[in-house]
Amino acid sequence: MSYKKIKRMTAVMRINHWVVALSMIVAVVTGLYIGHPYYQSFIADPAVDKYVMAWNRLAHFLVAIIFDVSSVVVAYLYFFSRFEKPYKKLLPTGKNMAEFVAVLVNLLTLNRVKQFDSSHADSFNAVFFFVFHMLLAWMLFTGLQLYVHGLGSGLSSIGAWWPAILHLTTDWTVGVSGGTYMDVRISHHYSMYAIIAWAIFHVYYQIWRTIFWKEGDINIVVGGNKFVEEK
Amino acid sequence: MIEKREALAKMFSAKGSKINTNRGAEYYDSLMQTMTKRLAELEQTPAASKASIESVLEAEGLTRRDFMKWASAACAALMLPSNFTPLIAQAAVLMNRVPVIWIELQDCAGNSEAILRSDAPTIDELILETISLEFNETLMAAAGHAAEAHLEEAMHTFKGKYLCVVEGAIPLAMNGLYGTMGAKAETYKDHLIRVAKDSAAVVAVGTCATFGGVPAASPNPTGAVGVQDVVKGKAIINIPACPANPANITGTILHFVLTGQVPELDHLNRPKFAFGYRIHDNCERRAHFDAGEFVEEWGDKGAQNNFCLYKMGCKGPMTFNNCSIVRYNSGTNWPIGAGHGCIGCSEPQFWDKYAQERPMSDTHFKAPTGGVEKTVDQFGLGLITAAGIGIGIHAVASLVAAKKEGDE
Ligand code: HEM
Ligand code: SF4
Repeated sequence: MSYKKIKRMTAVMRINHWVVALSMIVAVVTGLYIGHPYYQSFIADPAVDKYVMAWNRLAHFLVAIIFDVSSVVVAYLYFFSRFEKPYKKLLPTGKNMAEFVAVLVNLLTLNRVKQFDSSHADSFNAVFFFVFHMLLAWMLFTGLQLYVHGLGSGLSSIGAWWPAILHLTTDWTVGVSGGTYMDVRISHHYSMYAIIAWAIFHVYYQIWRTIFWKEGDINIVVGGNKFVEEK
Repeated sequence: MIEKREALAKMFSAKGSKINTNRGAEYYDSLMQTMTKRLAELEQTPAASKASIESVLEAEGLTRRDFMKWASAACAALMLPSNFTPLIAQAAVLMNRVPVIWIELQDCAGNSEAILRSDAPTIDELILETISLEFNETLMAAAGHAAEAHLEEAMHTFKGKYLCVVEGAIPLAMNGLYGTMGAKAETYKDHLIRVAKDSAAVVAVGTCATFGGVPAASPNPTGAVGVQDVVKGKAIINIPACPANPANITGTILHFVLTGQVPELDHLNRPKFAFGYRIHDNCERRAHFDAGEFVEEWGDKGAQNNFCLYKMGCKGPMTFNNCSIVRYNSGTNWPIGAGHGCIGCSEPQFWDKYAQERPMSDTHFKAPTGGVEKTVDQFGLGLITAAGIGIGIHAVASLVAAKKEGDE
């Protein structure tokens, strides 16, 4: 049996992947603190030199910005990737739907049936990641809406355009999530769990593929390659 | 560079985002002219009520000096430059020229009570006493047919001039029969529409009148809604809170007296001078929030040290109101000052979504799947557990299947 090496991710794409993963962990850890401070700061310390909540919020917003940038990169890759452009796999064409079903069947039959080309990203993958990117976008919009509430004066250290643009781009989330600012917050919190559940399945599925497909899938995000049996 | 930035700022100045506290000399000069003219006109009209601010102040033992102090504070509250103070004072004197019809719907009369029942009334409250209250069920002596005749007369005499102040929600279920008024059993809805029709503007006072408030809390058996859901095609000013702060009611009416117009409003029709900032932005406990110092239990060390009430359910971070600056009862105190978190009483749906003594993530809301109430975290952990169990089953099944295949 001989195997062919296939390039799947460039270095930039891999760095992006791990930056997103790390950001997510930080966002969850700090976000849960913001929602319900789950550890106490040292009460004996005077308040002048500790800003535990403020630091958590800072970290939360910093990873939010990193998320922001990486999402723009990913959005770009959807259309202009050197590899298969993901949007082509997302379109509900007959071919894509058949591939989606084939991959799902593979998963549900515990790898007894495998009738698709696993060397490149498939439609199931494309849809699965699209869901993630939509969840992330929702986190961004709801998060920025929560953030702009603190800029009631309509001013900010970088100018009045910033809160204005935030209102313009995120006010719709209030109506969509249920009509009040609290609904935005509830939705931001629920969506976090959806993202965590997504991530758990994502990690499992990659390991599962690596073990059962025997094509070294896990290396896509490490070395950038996977291997496919040459027929 | 600066020009560019200004052009950009203009382009993106969405309504509802910006409170402009300095609009330049030209703007204020013309505003001053408008106001002076308006007050001169008002002065010509006969006083609609016999009460005058001088006599009311005197009865309470307050001096002209107290009054002027109040006028400069009110001037600042309305975000006007200090040279408007004499105009504010004059407007307060002329408050008895503005006829007000105050109707009472599905509520507890708490807003009226807040204004009337303090033993040391503030000047804000006294000024509300001098307005020409043409009709108010809670206060007037007349009842039954006499009261109805009185309302008719006031609406006729001051057609197009009176302010219609509304307190209480409007029940719409069962064709509105949950609340009726008078011998002909006019529903609250019809009553409101009739009185609002010939008014100069409608002022919804308190959270019931603005957003349905407590009567509209889940499951809202009476189908209660706020004034803006019933009255269409009229200027509506919302002054929510439970109860609305008399300072904000006076401020809004003062603004109307001064300009004949409604003050600048936010996207929920609340005056920006009062609802432009969050409680949290001007809270005296904010330093403790940033430091991560929270009250963990009523009466604990943190509570004794005035720590932040966030973990006791304070909703100051989501609530727009000026309580933290204006406070209540002549600035004596306010809920957070007294040691209880904000319950978000000036926000829509506050009873269901804000008024709990725990942070949002610990609050029992209806789960997205409907049915049993759950906290956001319980639901989320349930979701993750379900995902984990699914994965576990799949993993074990995969291994078993692979082993079988290997054995064969
Ligand atoms: C995977 C991404 C994210 C996760 C898991 C996450 C998680 C959370 C959680 C759990 C909360 C607490 C909500 C509560 O219970 O009240 C929170 C609050 C918040 N998040 Fe996020 N978040 C994410 C992304 C973002 C983004 C992109 C922004 C954009 C700026 C953002 C801004 C905020 C803000 C402003 C708050 C409220 C904090 C406050 O009021 O001080 N979040 N987040
Ligand atoms: S007490 Fe409430 S409003 Fe004040 S800082 Fe804490 S969370 Fe904010």
